[in-house]
Amino acid sequence: MENVTPLNATAASASASVKNNEALQAKQSHRPGELPGKKASPQEQNKKPILQIKGLTKNFTNFTAVNNVDLTIYEGEIFALLGSSGSGKSTLLRMLAGFEHPSAGHIILDGEDIVDLPPYKRTLNMMFQSYALFPYMTVRQNIAFGLKQERLPRDVINERVDKMLKLVHMEEYVDRKPYQLSGGQRQRVALARSLAKEPRLLLLDEPMGALDKKLREQMRLELVDIINSVGVTCLMVTHDQEEAMTMADRIAIMDRGEFVQIGGPREIYENPNCKFSAEFIGSVNMFECALTTSSPKRSLIQCNDFPCPIELQHDIDIADGMPVSIALRPEKVYISHEQPEEETNWCVGIVENIAYLGDISIYYVRLPSGRIITSTLPNVDRFKVGLPTWDDQVYLSWDPESCIALTF
Amino acid sequence: MAVVNVGSYTMKRPGSKGHRPPPRFVPEKKISWRERAIIFVPYLWMILFFLIPFLIIFKISFSITEISIPPYSPIITFEDGAMQIILHLENYTNIFTDPDGTYLRSYLKSIHVAAFSTFLCLIIGYPIAWALATSKSATRNILFILIIMPSWTSFVVRIYAWMTILKRDGLINDILMTIGVIDHPIHMLQTDFAVYVGIVYCYLPYMVLPLFSALMKVDYSLIEAAQDLGCKPVKTFFNALVPQTKSGIIAGAMLVFIPAIGEYVIPELLGGKDSILIGRILWQEFFNNRDWPLASAVAITMLTIMAIPIIWFFKNQRKQGAHV
Repeated sequence: MENVTPLNATAASASASVKNNEALQAKQSHRPGELPGKKASPQEQNKKPILQIKGLTKNFTNFTAVNNVDLTIYEGEIFALLGSSGSGKSTLLRMLAGFEHPSAGHIILDGEDIVDLPPYKRTLNMMFQSYALFPYMTVRQNIAFGLKQERLPRDVINERVDKMLKLVHMEEYVDRKPYQLSGGQRQRVALARSLAKEPRLLLLDEPMGALDKKLREQMRLELVDIINSVGVTCLMVTHDQEEAMTMADRIAIMDRGEFVQIGGPREIYENPNCKFSAEFIGSVNMFECALTTSSPKRSLIQCNDFPCPIELQHDIDIADGMPVSIALRPEKVYISHEQPEEETNWCVGIVENIAYLGDISIYYVRLPSGRIITSTLPNVDRFKVGLPTWDDQVYLSWDPESCIALTF
Repeated sequence: MAVVNVGSYTMKRPGSKGHRPPPRFVPEKKISWRERAIIFVPYLWMILFFLIPFLIIFKISFSITEISIPPYSPIITFEDGAMQIILHLENYTNIFTDPDGTYLRSYLKSIHVAAFSTFLCLIIGYPIAWALATSKSATRNILFILIIMPSWTSFVVRIYAWMTILKRDGLINDILMTIGVIDHPIHMLQTDFAVYVGIVYCYLPYMVLPLFSALMKVDYSLIEAAQDLGCKPVKTFFNALVPQTKSGIIAGAMLVFIPAIGEYVIPELLGGKDSILIGRILWQEFFNNRDWPLASAVAITMLTIMAIPIIWFFKNQRKQGAHV
């Protein structure tokens, strides 16, 4: 690989969170809970579990929305349930809030099984996707609403509301009604209202769902800052992977009522445990191959699309000759005009299309087999070798550790 | 909510002072003669069948009764070439200074009966409207027909039906006696109870329909939010559902209260001899005593009483409208 000049070796920008990579790292630096890219289990074992879900199931007449899921959420973390619509993530959230009664299973919050408690007795609060602010109440009345239900003395309520208003920077808007606020301001009021009761667990239902794209990116980190400054444990539901990766410490990918993978953003991106996970988060080149040989230090895989085998530097726990899928992230595919010297992990093709996205470009390279591989390059020609252009013959190569072998 | 707009014509009654200010954000638009012609049709209707009769009644209320045809004194007379306008105010003062207080009592009684019937309609109608709004569309159509179908039968026939149900040897007493719950028939017909049954029965649809349309627009996430923030069911109802359906409640209440206050047929057929509502007073003055001027004054006073809640309602509507 030495003599091959990797055009995009410097770009570690995951296509899923290109713009937020920096932000992500900034966030993690002041969140000592998790080491990036590593399983955080040692730390988690020291943490106190706050919510335990055991065998939770919800059957509707025609289908099972949530199928026997187990989950533990630890004190102080932001946990995201990520899934497409119909994956059961919202049903799971609604069961936690108490709006749906599970068909089976237990929800243990702070050591107490809350499955049979009505919503108003649960020590958790939810921020609704539509915010569900009371339109006939002012900002102050909205935030004070939950506290009033507790019959707290008026001065305690006022003090708490003032604190919340300050927290979300909405002091100037106390006497406005929700219709007089912008989307972002409404969201802050909704957040303040759900935090006012100092819940043990904060539920966020598609927190950015009602905002436009620009505001969304800005509010993500602001929301995380507010949540962190209060120190509340938070479970959010989203279909937006970028949102989940920016905001959450851990993510559970949900599909058809079950968890596919649970892990930190980096872990889920770098080490997907199955094809669904790999394809769901970010973009990926997926190859159906067959295992040739597997030894503890080295596995060789034959793929009909490539002139040479794929090499991995670990063993794969299946029999030789069995099918295996190889996932390769586009930003980890190097493009070069010169042929690599290695005997493995490269192929040749013609640049068929280039999608220019400003900061990066996506190259669609057609292999002789007809298969298209995508590769992303930053639009900075640091090595002055000239970026590939349409109809160029290019060599695609990758490091052995970039390949992820998936058996299901 | 189209039904409510019927009321707005009453409100726009020409001749009443204090027109609404023009809507602020609607740009001024030239109305073509075609549009004017179309708008004129309902205006013509209102002028012919509301404004002119109203003015006639209004005029009669300022004359005194006479044995002549028509049976009241003219307001404008010519004597020795001089035009005289004589406005008698005694009809109005009589209403308030009547030694027995018959008129005032019957006004109060009418307001009381109408208000309590409205309240009954509200507490019976709300669950019905809720059931309608939350049912599946197939069931909803059936429920709708069940609510509206009785009005296909004549109003008077339905009240007579209630007479046979409520009377001494009527359906209810028969059943209760047969079961053995009671020994003697309960006296139900010709009581206030029967009047309430009749009014609630007849006006319930007018409460249910506006409530239903308000409930269809309810944002259910607000109900969940109230529960989430610690409201028990009853508090959730008053904090999240009632404020959202306020316009429906007011519209329904108006549609029941206003006709109920002047109701004549139901108290006449179902009510007792002692339950003298304003409708019966009007009838007696017009037809039994042939005191048209006094009857007119009673009618005008009643109209004024009814105008108060209507004006309040539209003020409220406008305030709400500004919020949405």
